[in-house]
Amino acid sequence: MKNEKKNLIGHLADWINWKRFLFSVLLIFFLTSIIFPFYWMVSSSFKTRAEIGGREPVYIPGGLRLDAYRELFDPNHPSYQNFGRNILNTLKVSIPTSIIAVILAVLGSYAIARFQFKGKNILLNGILMVYLFPGVLLIIPLFAMLAKIGDALGFRVQDNLGVLVFTYLSQTLPVALYMLTNYFRTIPDEIEQAALIDGCNRLEVIWRVTLPLSIPALISVGIYTFMIAWNEFLYALIFLNERDMFTMPIKINTIFNDPTPRPNVVMAASTIMTVPIIILFLSLEKYLAEGLTAGGVKG
Amino acid sequence: MSVAGTKKGISRKKKEAQLAWTLISPTALIVFGLVIFPAIFSVWVSFHDVGLDNLNDVFHAPFVGFENYREVINDYAFKFQGLDNWGAAVTTIVYSFASTTMAVLVGLIASLLLNRPFKGRGIARAIFLFPYVAPIVSIAFVWRWILDPRPSGVVNDILMSLNLIDLPKAYLATRGLALAIVILLDAWRYFPFCMLMILARLQAIDNTLYEAAKVDGANAVQQFFAITLPELRYVLGATFLLRLMWTFNKFDDIFLYTGGGFGTKVLPVLTYEFSFKLYDFGRGAATAMILLAILVLFMTLYVSVVMKNVED
Repeated sequence: MKNEKKNLIGHLADWINWKRFLFSVLLIFFLTSIIFPFYWMVSSSFKTRAEIGGREPVYIPGGLRLDAYRELFDPNHPSYQNFGRNILNTLKVSIPTSIIAVILAVLGSYAIARFQFKGKNILLNGILMVYLFPGVLLIIPLFAMLAKIGDALGFRVQDNLGVLVFTYLSQTLPVALYMLTNYFRTIPDEIEQAALIDGCNRLEVIWRVTLPLSIPALISVGIYTFMIAWNEFLYALIFLNERDMFTMPIKINTIFNDPTPRPNVVMAASTIMTVPIIILFLSLEKYLAEGLTAGGVKG
Repeated sequence: MSVAGTKKGISRKKKEAQLAWTLISPTALIVFGLVIFPAIFSVWVSFHDVGLDNLNDVFHAPFVGFENYREVINDYAFKFQGLDNWGAAVTTIVYSFASTTMAVLVGLIASLLLNRPFKGRGIARAIFLFPYVAPIVSIAFVWRWILDPRPSGVVNDILMSLNLIDLPKAYLATRGLALAIVILLDAWRYFPFCMLMILARLQAIDNTLYEAAKVDGANAVQQFFAITLPELRYVLGATFLLRLMWTFNKFDDIFLYTGGGFGTKVLPVLTYEFSFKLYDFGRGAATAMILLAILVLFMTLYVSVVMKNVED
């Protein structure tokens, strides 16, 4: 019966509040469901074995205990994981992948965006095929092909980080080409024509005009390809067998599947793998959010 | 003068085409060698008996016709065996459609939330992207740890203290439940992509449309159905198609969440198992080709039926 006392304005205020209420509830629901897993990952990485293995979950760890990190990095720990090696391997794979993909994609996508030439459509369709084809389909022929080439040229296919970089180009180069071609098309041709008339040749134009104008795009493409290689799981799972050669994702999978489960160690390794990516993303969010919708990441 | 000009133009064009090929040749070589050729080669592999023993001599592998395909289709893990055991083909279709639909719906809600101006919207948008940006390996193991089957698992603890369940559940190790959870987790992980696509379109909708609707006395719900939804139809359709394609081909998520057990075995995981557990590459390639065929079939249907309606 309370409602009867309210006047029109009161009802209006209620209606507005109801809308606001729904909005806040949804927003809070989204934020907690997103933040909680990340909180759980980071906080679990600081828990002791007792806190991890208790009968009830420990929502706030007793202190910043570094037990899990010690297992990853301290050579004196009884089940030392040598995780530093895995971080290094991941960097050894993702930095070259990203640099090579960006350099090749700059040249290739400039040609696609600016010139007409025979075979351009076949090439573009080939690039789009990557978006359609399952990675698991390409890995079989790649594996067979590389095994044969490796046999002929005398290099090992398994546990060879160089081979892994090479296969990652099949995932990253098409993405980089696609993004950079779209970007180069937005640079007005007139600017380049002016430089050409001034007597620069094409390569000078690319170096002096196009690239300086494309720095944001180059950064975002570089980071995307870096992230793809950093996160990649399937190819690394197939091509790497030795613990010393593992990249982080495969190592984390191995620690997880250890007969004695140690979730705090898994979470510590996951934290180390995730935090740099989140920081990288946040610091360049302005450029990166657009790239995501421009087909930046397949997955 | 003009003749010389065109001649010069032609030679310049030739030069440019030459330069274009020089610039693109390393890329073309890699795209051809690592994408186009392997794609065609995998069709070839699917018709041959390729195993670990003859991998080094793959071009002399015996031709077996459709034998690999027959084996896959009759495989226990592939075939639909009844409602309690769907087989990989049906599971793939259910998983892809359900998780794509959920991701688009959640993405739509999230984009509507973020389309309203409020304090801290920029930060909220950045946080909303976390699930999509973070590495799948970390994400998968955090969720497995949250969904831990022991009473000390977070979800078990919360549901038990709310008296919603009596005994702890093994969420990712129970048939039916596991697939449902994986679908939910994928919606959680991939909604940000849909959100960004939809948000970009939302912000491009002409505001005068809403003002006119307000003058006509339409409330928020009516405005949504009369203006927002029709304006979003195309982007919703396109986003759905892209995500469907990628979800169909997804290997990492299911492999890391359940290893393909408990009724969650999808075709990419089956392809992996045939190729790298049994080392029967021919059968693996055949599985992948069947996956591709189903995908192309659905995409053609989708583009010719749904997207056509959208354009009308």
